[in-house]
Amino acid sequence: MHEFTIASSIVEALLDLAREQGSSKVLKVHLRIGKLRALSIEQVKFSYDILAKGTALEGSSLTVEESAGSVRCPSCSYHGEFNPDDLSFHFGVPPLLCPQCGNSLSIDGGDECVITKVRMLASTAKEGTPERELVG
Amino acid sequence: MTKPVEVVTSSEGEVFDVELEIDILKENRRLADENKRRLEANGVHAIDVMGSVGSGKTSLIKKMISRLKDRFRIAVIEGDVTTTIDSDLIASEGVPTVQVNTGKECHLDANLIRKALDRMPLNKLDLIFIENVGNLICPAEFPLGSDRRLVVISVTEGPYMVLKHPMMFLGANVVAINKVDLAEAMEVDPAKLSAHVAKLNPKAATVHTSCRNGTGIEGVINALGFTTG
Repeated sequence: MHEFTIASSIVEALLDLAREQGSSKVLKVHLRIGKLRALSIEQVKFSYDILAKGTALEGSSLTVEESAGSVRCPSCSYHGEFNPDDLSFHFGVPPLLCPQCGNSLSIDGGDECVITKVRMLASTAKEGTPERELVG
Repeated sequence: MTKPVEVVTSSEGEVFDVELEIDILKENRRLADENKRRLEANGVHAIDVMGSVGSGKTSLIKKMISRLKDRFRIAVIEGDVTTTIDSDLIASEGVPTVQVNTGKECHLDANLIRKALDRMPLNKLDLIFIENVGNLICPAEFPLGSDRRLVVISVTEGPYMVLKHPMMFLGANVVAINKVDLAEAMEVDPAKLSAHVAKLNPKAATVHTSCRNGTGIEGVINALGFTTG
């Protein structure tokens, strides 16, 4: 539900990075989003494209890698993957209970949203510092 | 910002890759920690009140204020998408309120709370209620820097509210199951809702409340760690 906010933060972080690296064009962005983070990847991409318009990110491609959710049971020390995409998971009502002992689980992975890799163009000297301004 | 793990140097006009780990949610966590330190330094307790639309968050806050205002200096941060209806309701209790209208957002975030705190005389306060935007999904993902989290649901939302929103209840310290005076008419058993909470989060205290007849208001206050004296 808050994909637009998250996409705004992603765009802001990328524009800062491009500035730091002296690049005026970002080509490719890789994200890692955990399956337990309540984000729709389609909506993140949709918002990203809108927000990228008119910036150094315009036209860049966004690739999202999903990371698996993992849970740990404090009661019986069960540790395992936790996948909300798996239909059988939703029949084990309520979710977030240990499949082994039925007690409540804690999440220990798969709730992140991280930029992992960015491909950009090294800026050319002509942009931003025109020679004619330096002369005279 | 995280330092790049690897930077491939390139000549002008060349393409290069930067591998890194920029955590998008870190900034909110950082600001939430900052808010928390600031509140602690001023000896102010902050309670993040979350819950579905129409579950009775504002009414419960009002009822608690009327019982606590003689002992504590209280203020309220009201989060809504739009209007000042809730802050007007709270203001009738005679405590200062700051309305935060998110405009397009479905939740409050730590930065909005930081700005709201800037407008409050923290050294003259003991307790701040932060009423989050009515929503059982998003607020769970954005810590604000409060020291306690109260989730309010009501029997009018049906018998499956807890099971359908597990994330919201995992982080709660206290859960109020509100409008229990209507439980019979709704054919919803509040004890079953409590059992669902206990199963998901055994550490959370659950209290049955009715803002209409006053049931459980003391109970919520006590579960939050306060007394009316």
